[in-house]
Amino acid sequence: MPDKSDYLRTSGTFTPDIIEDIQVKAELGRYRIRGFGTLRERRWATFDDLTFIPCTLTRIPLEGYRERCSPKTLLGTRFAEKPIELEVPIMITGMSWGALSYNAKVALAKGANIVGSSNTTGDGGMLMAEREHSRTLIYEVLPSRYGIDVHHLQMADGIELTIGQGAKPGTGGLLLGSKVLDTVAEQRDLPLGVDQRSPARHPDFLGPDDMIIKIEELREATDWQVPIFVKMGATRVFDDVKLAAKAGADVIVVDGMEGGTGASAEICQEHTGVPTLAAVCEARAALEDLGLYGEVQLIIAGGIRHGVDAAKAMALGADAVYIGTAGLMALNCNKPIHVEDYHELGTEPYHCHHCHTGRCPVGITTQDPDLMKRLDIDEAAERVANLLQAMTSEIQILARACGKADVHDLDPEDLRALNLEASMICGIPLVGTNRVFGGGPGWKERE
Amino acid sequence: MADIICDGKTTRDINAEIKRLIANGETDICMRNPVARHNLGVAILQSVKLTFDGSVGYYCAGMVDGPTVEIKGSAGWGLAESMMGGTVTVEGNAGNGAAASIRGGTVVVHSDAASRLGVSMKGGLIIVGGNCGYMAGFMAQRGTMIVCGDTGEAFADSMYEAVCFVGGNIAELGNDAIIEQPTAEDLTFLESTLSQHLPSRVGNSQAPIRNFKKVVSGRKLWNFDKDERSVWREAL
Repeated sequence: MPDKSDYLRTSGTFTPDIIEDIQVKAELGRYRIRGFGTLRERRWATFDDLTFIPCTLTRIPLEGYRERCSPKTLLGTRFAEKPIELEVPIMITGMSWGALSYNAKVALAKGANIVGSSNTTGDGGMLMAEREHSRTLIYEVLPSRYGIDVHHLQMADGIELTIGQGAKPGTGGLLLGSKVLDTVAEQRDLPLGVDQRSPARHPDFLGPDDMIIKIEELREATDWQVPIFVKMGATRVFDDVKLAAKAGADVIVVDGMEGGTGASAEICQEHTGVPTLAAVCEARAALEDLGLYGEVQLIIAGGIRHGVDAAKAMALGADAVYIGTAGLMALNCNKPIHVEDYHELGTEPYHCHHCHTGRCPVGITTQDPDLMKRLDIDEAAERVANLLQAMTSEIQILARACGKADVHDLDPEDLRALNLEASMICGIPLVGTNRVFGGGPGWKERE
Repeated sequence: MADIICDGKTTRDINAEIKRLIANGETDICMRNPVARHNLGVAILQSVKLTFDGSVGYYCAGMVDGPTVEIKGSAGWGLAESMMGGTVTVEGNAGNGAAASIRGGTVVVHSDAASRLGVSMKGGLIIVGGNCGYMAGFMAQRGTMIVCGDTGEAFADSMYEAVCFVGGNIAELGNDAIIEQPTAEDLTFLESTLSQHLPSRVGNSQAPIRNFKKVVSGRKLWNFDKDERSVWREAL
């Protein structure tokens, strides 16, 4: 009897996954679409490849459970009359009402509000309930301008001019017809049930020179009161951040390739953009190169999972982080409840990425009233608040261990790289050495 | 009528002065010598009359809701972008992206409009007395666009429920755009609308109302359909 492995040989090129992919596309006649974000195995350097080096004898730690370590966060100090003041450095990123259910949007707003964080609107405009429940609400101005409303713009505490998104930079949004229903269609001025494909370019400006004027327009429309954010997917980060800063942004948001999405071409999620770790390093270097580090605030997004990721991003240069997918998980995304409905989608809890179908078993990425009812707004809001609080406490305990009385005092010197790649990307020493192996664009050796 | 002399004033000064006058009850304000400054008259939300006595730069009357704006010159990019209500009239030409993303109101350009006219419009009425450049009406969702002259390439590409009327030649229809016979109601609408906003165009022997073409969406791009290969090859 021959051993099975002798004749059941697998191609290294046409693996079972690739064969399945080809056969699915041979049926579909288009690229595959799904939600969630990249599912690739993480073979690139991530925040996990860094470690903090807390105080021992060369530095003195703060008492981990007692001494004050401020997480208060100030954004938009460059030009705005009213910068944004938050109690925590973790914010809720823009996710559209449409991609998310009403209950999910309101729960995120309420949860963020409980701990003094912020919420952001999304592609589709402002939901009045999220305005009512958000002390701090950031209004996204996206290329599609779905739901654009000057009255809503003037009710916001910050304006985010979105150029792109980490999960799918260079492409527009996507909302399949199963979600373009009733009030969502009406708010977006779209026919019921269309597969909405948003534009990638803004309708009234193209490049950074025009964007200077666009930013001035937004300031005039809001009487220079609120900060203007510019959000971009992480690609040519060093150059793009410099262009956004020169264009007059108060705050720059860089969204790495691990960021999530409600729906997009799968290949964009898997094969475009640069990782969040690299993005934060390039972004900081860009602002330092312009002499604007600290004056223009930096928010990092894209696969931030916990306070450790957030603390490392902040040590590398971020003033705050956005969370999206982690916030949805606090709402119950991928929780093992209503398991039969996961099975109906052909998936399992902890593996679901079917946000695009509108059949979310836990009522988050759906417009189906019955599914939506599964998400109790107040209970979900409490979980979001707890997560934000927990993540903040994780940042604080690391900061105290590093002797910092303010979470924003974490810096690259508090970190070491666990491997060469992370050292080269971040420009910080490899553990066990005093050497820095490389450093990204604009990197300069620290004194 | 109140005058604002724009010479020596910044955009911020001019807009602040407009808002101050409106707050004081002024309903008819003329900006003298605007020298094509950008972002003038942005986000005005009252039913007042604003006259710009010369050309203006980018985003003039952007995001307005209610005013009647007259520009006695030409306008730069993004004229009246994201407007929600009111009327914006340009005596001369308009730059790229005029009336982009408008959700309501009326934008009238007496002469020509450059590329990307009415991109992503979500409502309202756009009237161009002359020609328009490429990609006019791209992804237009709702509302009506009337171009009395010729259009550029990719006209009315990927539209949803917007309706376009063209008096001259269409250089090239965009993806999923189709020409339809105007109805009697359409012709009546054109006659009355042009009589109101561009009276000089009515009776124009080079573009009589009966010759206007109506362009709408073929609706083949509204939902993914693998059998519409030729349309989707362009759009995907």
